[in-house]
Amino acid sequence: MNMLKKSNILTVVLLLMAQLTVLAQKVVRHDLYVRDTIVNYAGKSKRAIAVNGQIPMPTLTFTEGDTAEIVVHNELKESTSLHWHGIFLPNKEDGVPHLTQEPIKANSTYTYRFPIIQHGTHWYHSHSGLQEQIGMYGSLILNKRADDKTFRKGIDDLPTIPVILSEWTNYNPDNIQRMLHTANDWAAIKKGATQSYVEAIKEGKFKTKVTNEWKRQLAMDVSDVYYDKVLMNGAHSTDLKSVNGKALKAGDKVRLRISNGGASSYFWLRYAGGKITVVANDGNDVVPVEVDRLMIAVSETYDVVVTIPNEGTAYEFMATTEDRTQSASYFVGNGIKQLISPLPRLKYFEGMKMMNDMMKMNGDLNDMGMKMSLNQMDMNVVMYPEITGDGKKKEDHNKHSGMDHGQMNMDEDPNRYNANALGDIVTLNYAMLESPQATELPKEAPIRDLKFTLTGNMSRYVWSMDNKILSETDKIPVKKGEVLRITIYNNSMMRHPIHLHGFDFRLLNGKGAKAPLKNVVDIMPMETDTIEFLANEEGDWFFHCHILYHMMAGMNRVFAVDDYKNPYLPDKAKAYKELQMESNMTHFMAQNDFATNGNDGQAMFQNARWQLGSEWRLGYNDMHGYEVETHLGRFFGKMQWFMPFVGFDYRYRRMGEDEHEKNIFGQANKKDSRKAVSLGFMYTLPMLVNFQAEVYHDGIVRLQLMREDIPISRRIRGDFMVNSDLEYMAGLNYVITKNMAFRTHYDSDMGFGVGLSLNY
Amino acid sequence: MIMRLIPLFGLVTLALLSNENTYAQIKNAKIATAKILGNTTAAKTIIEKEGSTKSAKVDWNQTTKLAVITYDSSKTSEDEVLKRVALVGFDNEKFLAPNDAYAQLAKAEQYERVLKPASKNRAEQQADHNNHSQGGQIADHVSAAEKAKLADEKTAFAQLVNSYFALKDALVKTDAVAAAAQAETFQAAIKTVDMNKLSHDEHTIWMKVMSKLATDATGISKNKDVAKQRVAFASLSNAMYELLKVSKLNGPIYYQHCPMFNEGKGAHWLSKENAVKNPFFGAQMISCGSIVETLN
Repeated sequence: MNMLKKSNILTVVLLLMAQLTVLAQKVVRHDLYVRDTIVNYAGKSKRAIAVNGQIPMPTLTFTEGDTAEIVVHNELKESTSLHWHGIFLPNKEDGVPHLTQEPIKANSTYTYRFPIIQHGTHWYHSHSGLQEQIGMYGSLILNKRADDKTFRKGIDDLPTIPVILSEWTNYNPDNIQRMLHTANDWAAIKKGATQSYVEAIKEGKFKTKVTNEWKRQLAMDVSDVYYDKVLMNGAHSTDLKSVNGKALKAGDKVRLRISNGGASSYFWLRYAGGKITVVANDGNDVVPVEVDRLMIAVSETYDVVVTIPNEGTAYEFMATTEDRTQSASYFVGNGIKQLISPLPRLKYFEGMKMMNDMMKMNGDLNDMGMKMSLNQMDMNVVMYPEITGDGKKKEDHNKHSGMDHGQMNMDEDPNRYNANALGDIVTLNYAMLESPQATELPKEAPIRDLKFTLTGNMSRYVWSMDNKILSETDKIPVKKGEVLRITIYNNSMMRHPIHLHGFDFRLLNGKGAKAPLKNVVDIMPMETDTIEFLANEEGDWFFHCHILYHMMAGMNRVFAVDDYKNPYLPDKAKAYKELQMESNMTHFMAQNDFATNGNDGQAMFQNARWQLGSEWRLGYNDMHGYEVETHLGRFFGKMQWFMPFVGFDYRYRRMGEDEHEKNIFGQANKKDSRKAVSLGFMYTLPMLVNFQAEVYHDGIVRLQLMREDIPISRRIRGDFMVNSDLEYMAGLNYVITKNMAFRTHYDSDMGFGVGLSLNY
Repeated sequence: MIMRLIPLFGLVTLALLSNENTYAQIKNAKIATAKILGNTTAAKTIIEKEGSTKSAKVDWNQTTKLAVITYDSSKTSEDEVLKRVALVGFDNEKFLAPNDAYAQLAKAEQYERVLKPASKNRAEQQADHNNHSQGGQIADHVSAAEKAKLADEKTAFAQLVNSYFALKDALVKTDAVAAAAQAETFQAAIKTVDMNKLSHDEHTIWMKVMSKLATDATGISKNKDVAKQRVAFASLSNAMYELLKVSKLNGPIYYQHCPMFNEGKGAHWLSKENAVKNPFFGAQMISCGSIVETLN
């Protein structure tokens, strides 16, 4: 009996080995040469990174069962890395510098090698710094084997085109990141999304704007970065007349394998030739579902099938950024081009009103008991004219429902954010995704529940989980074989595409055993989603927001499954410190007004929690004086409205013989030259007024109220300051470029001045 | 040859320059001619206004339908100009206008869309439909005339069904005026149905529900109070359900139920979509309700 059992096991083992050797037979090698290049996508020649001379990086195609061997030749002047997004592989091949490998140094060669044990549409990108923004993204297509049991006739045998979406900006991405941290609103000016007071008054939304500032919010937008162009496979417009040399004709179906390789843009996908059939998501098959449009989150992949309805026509397949400022197109078919209408402009003030309603005074969000999840309720529909009509229609709507029964108005309608209930068109949401096969996890595996709250603020652009950035947390230890069931609640005002390395998770979306498998889940503000996966692969797996600038701001965690010995990382503790450091970089900003009455300016170093800043006011003569204040402070709280600091002031001025300055507390300051150390704090009051209180070593107290960047009109910003030394100042800026403004101000010390304000 | 063309080209440009001052402002000027559809002088205004920018100028001839496009080739292209024109509703030799853009043109500005390839699909659908209704047995010897007649008959019935759905959609939007208009279309459709062409079962039910359909439709078309329209619609929907239950359908139709209507007595309606969009409460409770039965 025993013998028999043993031999059985032996046979099984032998069979498995035989199969493994069969599977491992085919090694598919790609050589990738990474080089600096100059491109001109939007009227200016700019630096980019090309791989094998192209942007996007070449499409890598494998078949399940192959072994991938990818040799990276780094010919850059900086280090790089490649991450295989959505791929199951040994942790050491995952491509996260400082976490799963050392960075690939300049002028060196590195080989990734891993067996392909899955199929589907995936992509790959650099995981080093901001390289993904300037060209390092490409499609990674894993084909099913022809004998695969899940092979779907009529879908898996269609003509197929990989499409990778991306954005291009003429600005250096490092600069974009810096500007985001200093709340520079140049991007909003470029997009016409300033949402200033004048614009508010014109649209009759003055009260909405005041409430918004009362709640200490900056103008909200659906995206933070202005892009000059968006691209599909590196082009703004592409004619797809044939696939594999076969001309497309009426009745043909084409499968587009779409990856969103954009650094921070969500895209609407729409088709001029009718419905879009979604057949896979994040590399996993889903039961086909017909929709009119879908939104692809940053780093997600969708496989969609489109049909060419008529002969002699090419139908536009369009990807439009969520903020609707840019789009790119594929024209599918041969002949005259059937266009699709651009998406109408967002109703920003409706969005602002919605945000006001949802936001409590302490910056927390309040879902009013709506229990939102799975993108079904899209708060942003209030901004979509194609769903909620233009301003006028909405009033009609209210009137009608009032006329009807009266007991319920629009504000209480449980469906007022449900795009599919309100509109005539069908928009995909996660609740509509269903796996064709059961995806249940082994019942015997122990389940561990984890909860994350997504947190952050726009004003300092700090993004975190549970109000902690990566550099403030350790790795999360996980036992191999555990099921992690993770509930994520988004308590921030931006949406976040959360990506897990190395695994697919089940998104619990009401489809029971057939919950879809994904590796990215987009979570909108106030939404709660639950995912679960079996942690059966050792290693340190990154778990992060895939908006590049959020990731770089520290919105990351690491799951450490067992104690993995990574041959490429002998000192894991040191490497983790480096990773933490890179996700909390220090940013520098400086600004100076060269005015007729003196120079006013400031310079600042800051990271997620600390700020070291100096402000100066330099007159042109001793009477006006020279003054420098330096503060070192730390921000507290999720919204970062509170910052205690230590300060050092230096001032020199010559006053008249008997002239003394007295503050409102009757304290006199007699010295012409004053050096003082202080303790104090800064607190952001409603209306975004900064209240600053400090006490100097000589007992002198100073209180100050200041507001900067009041958005008066699209390009005009106002500011004022008043303090207990009876000094005051008021100014107006006219923004000319992202680094330059005309400025006029009146200062109680220095009088009236006009000048040019430069900022970096 | 080329030598001879250049002065000619120059002459044409000169002639144009003398005609219109604005041409002088366009640098690196290139000239192209393209066909743009449209009928009216108002169309001419829109085409020329939307097509022209600082670096392009469009001059459209209403009779020939030809537009002369002068553009700065370093800044823009003929395609960009024609795309703009198409996006405001005017088909041209390169681009077809989006359907919604065409629909938004004033009635007078709407032209025959001859550049748009005839929808092959509709013919296919029609054929399909006929096949289904005859149990897949359309013999080859049926004459073309008979086929057409058959198609007409099926169209009348299809129109009846479609106007029901249009009526339902109007009520979903709580639009009393549109509902009344759709109810009128529905009434008209009732009259065009030739009951001799209906199958035996259809015929029996038709006789039973026809007068009810007509009364309820009148109830809706004559009433501007959406609450009363909805009461009539509940009754109309019951009759339609009976009828469609015995009909051969072109696709699934969902029989849906709202438990709250009429103070909790409830009501049914029919829909082509499986998503619930409640015509009895509209936006108030748009997705309240459930699918009771799927008719195939």
